[in-house]
Amino acid sequence: MEENSNSLSERVWKTFSSMKLGLALLGIIALVSAIGTVIPQEAMDPEKAQAVSGLWKTLGLTHLYSTLGFRLLLGLLCINLIVCSTQRLKSIYLRTFKLTPPSKLVQVPQKNRQVVKGELVALRESVQEVMIQKGFRFTLSDQSEPWSFIATKRRLGNWGSLITHLSFVVLVVGALLGSLLGFKGYFMEGAGSTIPIQSIEVSKGTVSETFSVRINSAEDRLLPNGERDNWYTDMSILEKGKEVTRKTISVNHPLVYNGVSFYQASYADGAVFTSEIKGQKSPVVLRNKGESYYQAPGTDLYLVINLAKSSSQQQGVLFQVYKGTGANPIQSGQLKTGETIDVQGAYRLTFDGLAGFSGLQVKKDPGVSVIWLGCGLLLIGLLLAFYWQPLVISGMVQAENEKQGTLTVGALAGKMPDSAREALEQFVSSVTKMIR
Amino acid sequence: MLASLEVAAFYSLVIATTLCMLLYMIWLGSRKEIVGKLATYVTIVALIASTCAIILRMITSGHPPLSNGYEFLLTFVAGILAVYLFAEFRYKLRSLGAFVMPIPFFLLMFIIMSMGPDERIAQAVPPALKSQWLTFHVLTAMFAYGAFAVSFGLGIMYLLKYSKTENGKKLSPKAMVARFPALEKLDELSYKVVGFAFPLLTLCIITGAIWANYAWGTYWSWDPKETWSLITWIIYAGYLHARLMYGWKGKRAAWLALFGFLAVLFTFFGVNYFLPGLHSYAQ
Ligand code: HEM
Repeated sequence: MEENSNSLSERVWKTFSSMKLGLALLGIIALVSAIGTVIPQEAMDPEKAQAVSGLWKTLGLTHLYSTLGFRLLLGLLCINLIVCSTQRLKSIYLRTFKLTPPSKLVQVPQKNRQVVKGELVALRESVQEVMIQKGFRFTLSDQSEPWSFIATKRRLGNWGSLITHLSFVVLVVGALLGSLLGFKGYFMEGAGSTIPIQSIEVSKGTVSETFSVRINSAEDRLLPNGERDNWYTDMSILEKGKEVTRKTISVNHPLVYNGVSFYQASYADGAVFTSEIKGQKSPVVLRNKGESYYQAPGTDLYLVINLAKSSSQQQGVLFQVYKGTGANPIQSGQLKTGETIDVQGAYRLTFDGLAGFSGLQVKKDPGVSVIWLGCGLLLIGLLLAFYWQPLVISGMVQAENEKQGTLTVGALAGKMPDSAREALEQFVSSVTKMIR
Repeated sequence: MLASLEVAAFYSLVIATTLCMLLYMIWLGSRKEIVGKLATYVTIVALIASTCAIILRMITSGHPPLSNGYEFLLTFVAGILAVYLFAEFRYKLRSLGAFVMPIPFFLLMFIIMSMGPDERIAQAVPPALKSQWLTFHVLTAMFAYGAFAVSFGLGIMYLLKYSKTENGKKLSPKAMVARFPALEKLDELSYKVVGFAFPLLTLCIITGAIWANYAWGTYWSWDPKETWSLITWIIYAGYLHARLMYGWKGKRAAWLALFGFLAVLFTFFGVNYFLPGLHSYAQ
């Protein structure tokens, strides 16, 4: 029994340490990702995703990237990467820090090898001199016969692929943290309104925070040449009704409060009114073109507005009042700033002026810092792997007689035989020059 | 004034690119040294013209060249020319020109055939595109894509030479491919070029993610353009690994380099023209 489970775990280990499996997983992930760009995804295009056939929806094809299957693929790849990295850790460590000089001639790299003859002492001294001059890190053999050495440059490059592979795992962990502990939501509110963070429309996760958000003002600012400068929202965070933070945000310049970020996502025009019911005044903010409505408390009257084209205060605002589910307005008209009308005897409405509506993306993602860490590691790993490739040159000097000897020196070719050959040639020509 | 200079630079670029492509091809057939030299000089002219066109465009529009497909293609072409010239000088490999230059040529033809003047003019960028990160995003994309185009050319050369020498066939010294570098050398060169570009592509994706996180609060939203850049990235990761696997060096790696570049092209054209998404407003 013991042995059986041992061989099973060994087999599992072996499967996961295979690069073939890793590449197959990568290929499948690429393929599945590609399918998701053809079939409409709920997150990108909810209406079209709604329209595809029910079977596809059940299979998860309309939210491919958040299906269990897709996560399983990523999980398997992570296991694969971890196993691969663990397995190669020791050899990378040895290659970096424990290089041993050759003790036999066959240990000098054979594919890429050169021979120099000369005086024994001069050969040894010039090899050492060249290694120091060229900035190699080197080890000499501890026995004197045969005299041998191993020299290396850019040895940290050995860690490149390991760091790259582990950074991918870090990225997946960061993404997982975000989807487990974070939330994502959206709200659009007019200037002057305050809403509790709990009441925003959430598309992912749940909100546990309890503060409120007040939109002080929202503005669509244009440059003198008529191009859009940016959308600006002056907003405050309120804890138990008290302002704790205030900032003007714009696209690309978010506000972050206690790990919750607010991004300017869109903008709409609107107007502010005061409604007065039985002497009770309260502010009402409405979006242009009937995008939002006002239902006076205790009535079934619905009010929508339409701003005149140039949206200047003078031209005022068109309003319509609907009753219940009725399709035709029962009252309509135009209001100028400061004007008051009576709506069906139920309430009085005063037009106070224009107000911007700000659409804000709200996001909490505790995984983001892990993601940036992963990105940083990924870059460091890749830079090491491709811009810092290690070079290893080793060789030995064998005595022919009392005074004369032969230097046999070789360079480890690795993935770039050409560059290794070039480096070896330079090394040998420096040594040759020196013994002359 | 600057705008008309830009148009002049663009047409100089078109003429120079066409000319150098033809010269490289003639040189490959004739091996006349003077033709080869001329081809290289004309390519340098093309690089200067494309750089001028981009800089003039950036001065007139006041933002990095990413407000529409025209600007992006122009940058793409400049990237290809720059990386190609570097490879030619560094590795003394002029025959590569005949296989790389058709790519910028077709990209420029695409601009001329399919984009009207109103599609080429500088456009106002929406607030979301006003971010310093996008400058890095474009710069890294330019060199990464340029290098991938070069590795595409190398892949074609490899496969051409491979098909002519398969099964120990002897090459007549007059054959065109006999003048190509040895197969291993082409393979190693292609690896070097992809190895140069892969970290840049990664940086391009990362700067894009940082920007997206500032703009929308999501570093990755699986929109088609992002997804296709990830697929491209995976293909090139596959290429890098293929060379390490027994039996995958050489021919299969060369095929992967070709597929990788097709994915690059699809990320640009396919996604902008066939698939919807966040990036579509960038046009
Ligand atoms: C997330 C995707 C992956 C990326 C971005 C990646 C990246 C890299 C890079 C950049 C290298 C260095 C290549 C070179 O120097 O030419 C490398 C090497 C390697 N990779 Fe991956 N890899 C990935 C997945 C995998 C998987 C799934 C496996 C298999 C379990 C794997 C196994 C290896 C091995 C064995 C090497 C050779 C290392 C060496 O020569 O030092 N990789 N990888």
